[in-house]
Amino acid sequence: MATTVQGAPGTRERFSQWLNAHRKWLFAAPAMIFTALLIAFPIGWTLYLSLTDAKGSVRSPKGFVGIENYLSILSDLNRFWPAVLRTGAFTAGALALELALGMMIALLLWRPFRGQRWARTAILLPFVATPVAVAMMWRLIFEPNIGFANRFLSWFGIPAQPWLSDPTTTLPTLVLVDVWEFTPMVALILLAGLTTISEDVEEAARIDGANAWQRFWSITLPLLKPVVLVAVLLRAIDALKTFDLLYVTKGQGGGSFHEAETLNIFVYDRTFKYNDYGLASAALIIFFLLILVIMWFLTFRRRGAKL
Amino acid sequence: MTQAKWTGTRRSFIAASAAVAGAGALSACGGGGGGGGDSTTLNVTLANHVWTDLITKKISEFEDDTGITVTVTQLSEDQLVDNYKVKLNAGSKDIDVMMYRPLQVGKLFGQSGYLLDISDKVGDAGDWNWDDFQKGPVELTTYEDQTVGVPIITESEMVYFRKDLLKASGLDVPTTMEELENAAKTIKEDNSGTAGIVMRSQASAAVTQFSGFLYSFGGTWIDDSGNSAIASAEAKEAYAFYGNLLHSYGPDQMSTDMSWPEASAIFAQGNAGFWIDASSLYQNVYDPEKSKIADQVGFTPFPAGPDGSKPYNVAAWALAINGESPNQDNAWKFIQWATSPEMTLEIQKEGVPSARTSVWDDPAGTESYPEELAEAIAKNAENGVGYDRPRVNGVAQAREIVGGPIVAGISGGDSDAAADDANAQFQELLDGEK
Amino acid sequence: MTTTLPTRSRAPLAPRKKPARTKVYPVVRGILIVLVILVFVLPLAWMVMASFKTNVDINDTSKSFIFDPVLSNYTNVFGNANYGQFVFNSFWVALWATGLSLLLGVPAAFAMSRFNMQKSALTVLLARIIPGISLLVPWYYVFANLGLVGGYGVLILSHMFVLIPISVYIMMSFFDSMPLELEEAALVDGLTPIGAFLRILLPLSVPGIATAGILSFIFSWNNFMFALVLSGANTKTLPVAVFDFVSYASIDWGAIMAATVVMTLPIVVIAVIGQKYIVSGLTAGATKG
Repeated sequence: MATTVQGAPGTRERFSQWLNAHRKWLFAAPAMIFTALLIAFPIGWTLYLSLTDAKGSVRSPKGFVGIENYLSILSDLNRFWPAVLRTGAFTAGALALELALGMMIALLLWRPFRGQRWARTAILLPFVATPVAVAMMWRLIFEPNIGFANRFLSWFGIPAQPWLSDPTTTLPTLVLVDVWEFTPMVALILLAGLTTISEDVEEAARIDGANAWQRFWSITLPLLKPVVLVAVLLRAIDALKTFDLLYVTKGQGGGSFHEAETLNIFVYDRTFKYNDYGLASAALIIFFLLILVIMWFLTFRRRGAKL
Repeated sequence: MTQAKWTGTRRSFIAASAAVAGAGALSACGGGGGGGGDSTTLNVTLANHVWTDLITKKISEFEDDTGITVTVTQLSEDQLVDNYKVKLNAGSKDIDVMMYRPLQVGKLFGQSGYLLDISDKVGDAGDWNWDDFQKGPVELTTYEDQTVGVPIITESEMVYFRKDLLKASGLDVPTTMEELENAAKTIKEDNSGTAGIVMRSQASAAVTQFSGFLYSFGGTWIDDSGNSAIASAEAKEAYAFYGNLLHSYGPDQMSTDMSWPEASAIFAQGNAGFWIDASSLYQNVYDPEKSKIADQVGFTPFPAGPDGSKPYNVAAWALAINGESPNQDNAWKFIQWATSPEMTLEIQKEGVPSARTSVWDDPAGTESYPEELAEAIAKNAENGVGYDRPRVNGVAQAREIVGGPIVAGISGGDSDAAADDANAQFQELLDGEK
Repeated sequence: MTTTLPTRSRAPLAPRKKPARTKVYPVVRGILIVLVILVFVLPLAWMVMASFKTNVDINDTSKSFIFDPVLSNYTNVFGNANYGQFVFNSFWVALWATGLSLLLGVPAAFAMSRFNMQKSALTVLLARIIPGISLLVPWYYVFANLGLVGGYGVLILSHMFVLIPISVYIMMSFFDSMPLELEEAALVDGLTPIGAFLRILLPLSVPGIATAGILSFIFSWNNFMFALVLSGANTKTLPVAVFDFVSYASIDWGAIMAATVVMTLPIVVIAVIGQKYIVSGLTAGATKG
């Protein structure tokens, strides 16, 4: 890619000066333009489709219907709102458990011990492993008849559970898988936060007679707050958009009662199963706005935060 | 790290486009889309299926004969459909031959103009003999009087049973719905931990297997005037019967999420007396490699309801040509080769039921099948109904709707009320498509 | 499964001055640590075991741990002539996508960090937030018209879209923690600002770049949704190829588990080698030094 600039040294110098003067945008623009190029068309296209009655094929004739799609999505009490609720429940449930357990594990691994590096590497595995592989693995483990999960329970005399095959237990089971997959990530983020806390503060508090619990609540936790927020942000974005796990374990439609139909699966079905492109696009725009609002809400109170 | 080096960085202003160009160059080894005119490469998209495995083994013969290079994309069914929808929507030219499910997407693809009209091609094919194909399947690959596909695989609704369990309970092979229910009940009572019967229970998946029950009880999906018929007395009776079979005599761990893999696994492990599903799945329970009870499997035609025995007997898969394909002639050559009488016979011998009449009439065509299975398939073909799901554009949505009452019954709910609900939704869908 | 942790586990803080507990506590903590690791590693170990079982054994729950290991699943997976190709595809796409994302992302992150371009950074990070499914149909439409579909190019581009925000995000927090004095000192030495970046700051950012690179590679390797529709017969990546074993007539669990092991193994190797980098990448921006 290199091009040698030929010409008088003066020209070259001037050129270099110009480059240096504008380096801010020279550096930042390529990545921004690349992203913008790839994102602008889809968003424009989705917005356009959301205002039409595109159905069956995107190439067949379409009529302009204004905000009708938005109205029918927002008044869809059968599928859309339950999907919103499920998305919320899945995200909130997974996040809460991941934070609580992640905090426990982080505290557990905080102080040095032999084999610390191996312990950290071991718990890395669940969330760097390919989500599709992880989902396949759990699908087999939770298979009601041949899966290991029920076998495991039987050793303790607990009757077999339906896990992913019953509408009432599906979502909790999926939360469980998500917790298994991402608790380590949360734990490692919190652990990194913990290691930046100086021991002196702790020590001072201990001399003052604060017990472990008090020290955790009044010193450690407040100091960790920014780190907790980062963990919440990262996980919230991904949990809201969870797709691979649901697609692999429950397939399209999210089960007989749509028990695993979150917003992403809802949109996927409207697009690929029902070919209802107008409605799907309207739902997508709503979904996107929802994520933006949640992100804004989470970042708003972190001025100077980088996201 | 000289100035020159970094002028490169400056150039990264257009790095996005450079990356595109560079990446484009990288794609040389991928099978890019064809240009104008028939190229010598042919892109064939096929579903995971025994048929596909057999054909792909022989493709080199076709390549040698014609000088055409065939690129096969093979995908599992769900992904196949997703792929088609993205690509055909974009008017893609990089699919020439496509394997598709006429019942699931035939109407939609036909309406969207995705499938090439091959009426002339099949009409002029001489020895290839279009008339040899069974009428029902051909009807399915016809859209508004145009032939758009060639059926390759047929299947009908088969009753699989455990000879040893029937014998132990002193039961005869059931031929009616009452006998079937009674046998399932007896087996469940006589064998602790074994289900009387196992069938699909996931709303969409179960629709096809339920269809035979619906027809045999005298019901149908859509009446002659194009309205929903799923809340008729007959349909309700069928719903209640199917749901109750699984609710009362199904596995103890009755899930509402079973499609064929789960149901066949339960039967293959010896945990059920009966399993009702597509005839094409018989290897799952008949092959000793996959099944613990391979030597005890019996096959019998679909039992008779109040309206007789009316299983589905359908063309499960067909081959079509993408309407946008630049290689239509070569695509047709491929289809002709893959569906020739000789090739069909060879594939049928490997246990894939075909849509050609001549192959079924040829003893060589059925010799590899278990005898009872071949008989049951033939019997089903006599009584069969040519569709196993509502014939609408939005098949996927319709299946979810009409499958609702099945699941309600399986989980012990009120399938009649569910049928009334589903009826209203289904009617709405039908009205929307008029 | 993980909920059986007793509440005591929240107290790995320094022990109170009760000699009796000082003896007990390390033991309890050790047991808890082992338990936690088991919970996270056992399912993966079970996946590996299942990949060495015949399907009949997989279907037989009495053979959870006692079975005759067979290699047939692996021969089956690699006997599928294309599987080696799929492994290569995953590698090739991840490699290019990672390299190109760093090329675009690192300078951008530097500028955004150096000049405090919060709003510009947000535009790039939007890509992190948008649901991937909204991109599939329009992208395909555009790429098909550019004649790119079916090659590696379109996959690399789509993965870059995911990776650039990651590398920008990680590198921004890395450059944020780099003292401005470094650049100033370089300028005093007579370097131009760009020269300072190339000769002084970039070499110092190697750990950050390694972090961004490793995480980018993993994200690309794991990506499923884009490859699902954008890859062709010859460019199919591993996450898509796993579904090849969900055939029409049966689910070949043994082969699927073997395929997932093959898919996960390189990631495990990367995790073991680059553990430090992955952790620091995760916590980018979380801990401002």
